[in-house]
Amino acid sequence: MSFKLKALLKSPWVFHLSTGSCNNCDIEILDCLTPRFDIERFGMLLAPSIKHADVLLVTGSCNRKSAERLKRLYEQAPKPCLVVAIGECSLSRGMFIHSYNCPVPLDKIIPVDVYIPGCPPKPEAIIAGVVKLIEKVKSGK
Amino acid sequence: MTRKEILKNIQEKFKKDIIDVFDKHPKRVYIEIKPGSIVKIAGYMFKELGTRFNIATGVDLREHMEILYHFTDEDINLLISLRVKLPKDKLEIDSLAPVFEGANWIEREMHELLGITFKGHPDMRRLLLPDEWPEGVYPLRADYEEWDEKAIRDRGL
Amino acid sequence: MIYVLYLLFFGFFLTAAVGLFASWIDRKVTARVQYRVGPPVLQPLIDIIKLLGKETLVPAGASKTTFLLAPVLGLGSVILVSTLLWVNDINVGQGFMGDIIVALYLLTIPSISIIIGGFASANPLASLGASREMKLILGYELPFVLAMLVPVIKAGYSIRIGDILLFQARSGVIAGNPSGILALVVALMCVQAKLALVPFDIPEAETEISGGALIEYSGAGLAVYRLMKNMLLFTLPFFLIILFMGGLRFDGIHLLYGVLKYVGLVALITVIRNTNPRVRIDQAVKFFWGPMTVIAAIAVVLAFKGL
Repeated sequence: MSFKLKALLKSPWVFHLSTGSCNNCDIEILDCLTPRFDIERFGMLLAPSIKHADVLLVTGSCNRKSAERLKRLYEQAPKPCLVVAIGECSLSRGMFIHSYNCPVPLDKIIPVDVYIPGCPPKPEAIIAGVVKLIEKVKSGK
Repeated sequence: MTRKEILKNIQEKFKKDIIDVFDKHPKRVYIEIKPGSIVKIAGYMFKELGTRFNIATGVDLREHMEILYHFTDEDINLLISLRVKLPKDKLEIDSLAPVFEGANWIEREMHELLGITFKGHPDMRRLLLPDEWPEGVYPLRADYEEWDEKAIRDRGL
Repeated sequence: MIYVLYLLFFGFFLTAAVGLFASWIDRKVTARVQYRVGPPVLQPLIDIIKLLGKETLVPAGASKTTFLLAPVLGLGSVILVSTLLWVNDINVGQGFMGDIIVALYLLTIPSISIIIGGFASANPLASLGASREMKLILGYELPFVLAMLVPVIKAGYSIRIGDILLFQARSGVIAGNPSGILALVVALMCVQAKLALVPFDIPEAETEISGGALIEYSGAGLAVYRLMKNMLLFTLPFFLIILFMGGLRFDGIHLLYGVLKYVGLVALITVIRNTNPRVRIDQAVKFFWGPMTVIAAIAVVLAFKGL
C-alpha cells in the first residue's frame, strides 16, 4: 500500500455533511466524538472546512436542491478522499424512495466507499464501519 | 376571556358566515366558515381576541380541497382551527398576508405544492421546490404522477 | 559554513522536533483532562506527512503567488528567530547589538503571514478571519513590548539578549523580582494570543467561520502552516525563558531545570487553554489594552525603581 494512503489512514480528518436529513444520524456522529467513544485516539479530528477533509461522512437522502451542492463539495475536497454513507436515508433513500423530491440514491451522484446501515446507527456500528473501511483500503485499493 | 365567552363571541358576531362548529375536545375547536369571509374572521381573531396565528395546513381530499388555519390562545390552552372548503374547479381564496406577516411563507408553500391561488399576495415566488421544477405540476395533489424519466424508484435488487 | 549548520540543525530540526513533541503534550493533556485517551506520540508528525500527500487546490479568484508564498514566509521567519535564540543561548558572545528588537519584529511575521494568506484566498470568511487577526495583533503587541522592557531595564538598559543572559547568570533570574513576575504574567497572556489558542483563538481554527483564514488551504500549504504553528509552540516559550528565567543551560543539573522550565510553561498554556471559553474580539482587545497594559506599566515603573 502506498505511503500516502498509509499516512491517510493514520490521521483521517472527518468532515460531516448533511444533505437534508432528520438530524438523528448527525447526533449519533457527534456522539462518536464524545469521551465515551473517543475517536481522537485514532487521530480523527473534525475538519472545519471541506478543503481539510479526508473522509466525508454523508447523511440524509439527497434531494434535488442539495444534489448540485453535494457534487460541488465533493469536487472541492482534495483527493484522495473517502466517502462514508451513514444511515438508511443515504443508502437508498430509506422510506423516501417514492418521494417527489429525491430522484436518485446517493451513490449515483458521488462514489461511496462504505455503507453503514441503521436508523440511526449506533456509535458502535459507526466505528465498526470505519474499521471495515480501513481494512478495505489496506487490503487493496 | 374564558373558552365559553370566546366561542359565544365568535358565533354571535359572524352568524351568517359560520357553517358548523365542532367542539372536539376542551383544547380543540374546529369552526367551518365560508371562503369569502376568511379575512374578516382571521383579522378579528388576531387583533381583537389576541390569539396567535400558528400555521395553516392544506390537504387534497377527493371532492374538494381544504385549508385549516390554526389559531392558539395559550393562556386558556385553546386551539381554534378555521376550516375552509374549496371546490376543485375554483381553487381561489383571499390572502391573509396583508393582515399579518406570518401567513406569507405558508401561502407560498401551499401555492407551489397544491396549486391554490391566493388573491392579493404581495410576493408569490417559489419557496421549497428547485428552480428547474416544471410549472403547473403540483406534487401534493392526489393525481400527481412522476414526470422525471431519470428517477430511479427501485432498490436495485 | 557553521552558520548553515546552526540554521539547519538548531533552527529547523531541533525546533521542529521539540515543537511537535510539545504539541503532542498539549493534545494528550487536553484529552486526559476531558477523561479521554489522547492520540499517540507521533500524531502531529503524521498529520503533517499526510497533508503533504494530498493535492493542493488554489481557488479560482485568488492571486496564486501570494497564496502559495504566504506560508513559506511564515515558516522562514520562525526558522530565523529560532536560530537567533539558539545561537544566543549556546554561545553568549555571538549575539549583536539590537538583536532583541530583531527577534520582536521577526516574531510578528508569522501572524502577518496568516493575514496575507487569508486575504489572498478569495473568500469572505477568510477575509473575516484575517481582519480579526489584525485586530488581535493591535491588541496584544502593546503589552508585549512593555513587558519586554522590564528585562532590558534591569540588565542595565542594554538591547542585547546576551547581556540579559549574563545579568541573570550573575544576579539571579528576573522572574524572582516583583517587576519580573508581573511582566512574565503579561507576557504569558500575550504568548497565548500569539499562538492563537483558546481563549484567544478568534482568528483561526474556529467552527464559527469554518477555519477562518485557513479555509482555502489544502495539502502542502496547510502542512507548512501547521508546522509553523507547532514550531512557534517551542520558540515563544523559549523566548520567555531566555528573557525571564535565565535561558537553558546544558551542564549537569541545569539540564533538568531547563526541561522543567519549558514543560512548566507548556503545561500552563495547556491549563489556560482547557479552562476558558473563547472570547469575542472586542472583549479580547479591551482585555489587552485595559488590565494587561496597566499591569505591564506598573512592572516597568517598578523596574525603574530597581525592584
